[in-house]
Amino acid sequence: MMNAKLKYLFCPESVAVVGASNGFDKLGYHVMKSLVEGGYGGRIFPVNPKGGQIWGRQSYQALSAIPEAVDLAAITVPGPFVPEIVHQCGRKMVKGAVLITAGFREIEDPKGAALQEEVRKIARLYELPIVGPNTFGFVNRTFGVNASFTPEFSRLEKGGVALISQSGGFCHLCGFMAMEQRMGVSKLMSLGNHVNVGFPEMLRHLVEEDDDTRVIALYIEGLDHPRDLLDTAKSLKGKKPIIAYKAGRNERGDSASRFHTGVMAGDYQIWKGALRQAGILEVSSPEEFIDTAKVLDKCPPIKGPRIAVLSGQAGPGLIAADAVENAGLQFARFSARTQETINRLLSPMAMRTNPVDMGPAWYSPEDMLDILKAVVEDEGTDGVIFLNVFASANVHMAKAMAERMKGAAPFTKPVVVVFSAPRGIWDAEIVEIDGKKGISIVPTPDRAGVVMGNLWKENLLPG
Amino acid sequence: MERLLLGADALAFLEREGLRVLACRLVGDEDEAVSAASKMEFPVALKVCSPDVIHKTETGGIRVCLKSETEVRQAFREIVEVFRSGSPGKRLDGVMVQQQGRGFELIVGARNDRQFGPVLMFGWGGIHAEAIGDVTFRLVPVTTRDAREMVRELRVYEALKNPRSGTVDLPSIEDFLVQVSGLIEKHAEIEEMDLNPVFAAGSEIEVCDARIRTVLVNEE
Repeated sequence: MMNAKLKYLFCPESVAVVGASNGFDKLGYHVMKSLVEGGYGGRIFPVNPKGGQIWGRQSYQALSAIPEAVDLAAITVPGPFVPEIVHQCGRKMVKGAVLITAGFREIEDPKGAALQEEVRKIARLYELPIVGPNTFGFVNRTFGVNASFTPEFSRLEKGGVALISQSGGFCHLCGFMAMEQRMGVSKLMSLGNHVNVGFPEMLRHLVEEDDDTRVIALYIEGLDHPRDLLDTAKSLKGKKPIIAYKAGRNERGDSASRFHTGVMAGDYQIWKGALRQAGILEVSSPEEFIDTAKVLDKCPPIKGPRIAVLSGQAGPGLIAADAVENAGLQFARFSARTQETINRLLSPMAMRTNPVDMGPAWYSPEDMLDILKAVVEDEGTDGVIFLNVFASANVHMAKAMAERMKGAAPFTKPVVVVFSAPRGIWDAEIVEIDGKKGISIVPTPDRAGVVMGNLWKENLLPG
Repeated sequence: MERLLLGADALAFLEREGLRVLACRLVGDEDEAVSAASKMEFPVALKVCSPDVIHKTETGGIRVCLKSETEVRQAFREIVEVFRSGSPGKRLDGVMVQQQGRGFELIVGARNDRQFGPVLMFGWGGIHAEAIGDVTFRLVPVTTRDAREMVRELRVYEALKNPRSGTVDLPSIEDFLVQVSGLIEKHAEIEEMDLNPVFAAGSEIEVCDARIRTVLVNEE
């Protein structure tokens, strides 16, 4: 019942901001800013007992005074007022709430936990799903609503990655990295203290009811009942890729050190095994988190471990080759036909077998692209890493690729690309190429190798 | 109510549950030790049995690869002497005479984790197990696929599959892990269990020593 309401919560036709304000020092100001400046297409109802105009809109002194239906209530009022507001949401038949207010279970004072329990009970009374408390809010880019206190999240590119976090700070860190790396996002949110919308509810929603989400990326710190998440993931195994970054790895579980075997049993080691068991791909840095989610979203699935590395420079090619090997992948052996094409287009000045040094073709980007095409089409290749580092002489490379891809059919295998140049040189071309036709761009050759390894691991997980 | 099963008692329990254990007998004196050993195949091992001793090796409570009655007699005396001088006032239940294990030393553990519930641990065993920490975990129940991944995650996997280090039948190890997982599922009262070492040679996977702590489950 509550789960059915999540769709309205995340795709609301109308939003009430309870605690809306014109004062910069109030969170209700920033939430209003996010909604208004984020170009939200539905109705916005500021709610503030003082009344008057807020952000140029007529405000209401209470939820009950709003003459129309409200799908989502964004709540920013101080903790003591929250229980009454949740009652009002229930009576107004609001479909869902995002509770931005902090000061619940996360604080040392036990009153915080008591307040959260009170809110949970009231929410259950009305079957009201609540994201939070203690969250910055959420943004649904594909639907077009920014119900958070960070208006800048409206700049995120639209895409297939749902980033669901236990921490607002991590969302900000990765959200800004995502902008930098052009990762397309469907939803971005912190679940905060998750009063009744936690990881299991979100996984089910994202897999079963959210067609815009193709990849689910989780940031996990710690859970009282991790099996709920793991069992849900297991039951949904293979439907959409799920990746996770687990923080707090060095913390030793309370129960760990009591017994002989327990000495070695840090909680993180259990997490590690349990994530794999549940079909969740674990990553170990925010960069790997972003790269992996982005490439899973934009590249076709990988069907085997045989990788080709094509590089405009030998050094970066070797770095990628090392990373490919470290990731447990293999080097593709080219067919006679592919090798012929390469030999025809490249002089024997450089290495023409995998990893291929395309250095001799600097002045003829078209030849490099012909090599790329031949290698992708080779039956012995499962994925390609294509590297180009700028030099004045190869400046036309990116433009040529952007032009070529316009008319080309999408690649049917993952093509992970690195285009590295000083700011201002290939910027427009990078934007044009990235995320289209089965291509995904990452910043460095080693990250290209790691992410290719993750595509293969993810492919093996559901099995 | 808590209960701790050690040594011969723990092995007897495991044997009843269908696991293979190394033959053993608890003895009280030298003659009994010799008679028990002669009923087994040499070599045998002798181990101190005391609820107060966890790390038997470090306290001189183990003698291995004893090939004759004379060696058994000698080892028995040494073990008792070391125990008496090193652990005054501690309880001595006896000395265990056991078939000498052979092959790889592995460790299989389980515990009822406060957050995760029952979990299974598998790793490289023996006296350096803790120092090296080559272990991996899964939630119970563990499937054959999970077990296969556990084996492959270990650093010792490279050695296990290397024919130069003696053939170990990996599917037998996987079956063993699944079997222990089943045992943990069946016995909710097991709070912690430590099978260390478990010897693996060919397709023979045999438990050499074990500690099992049970807590009576309250019927609610």
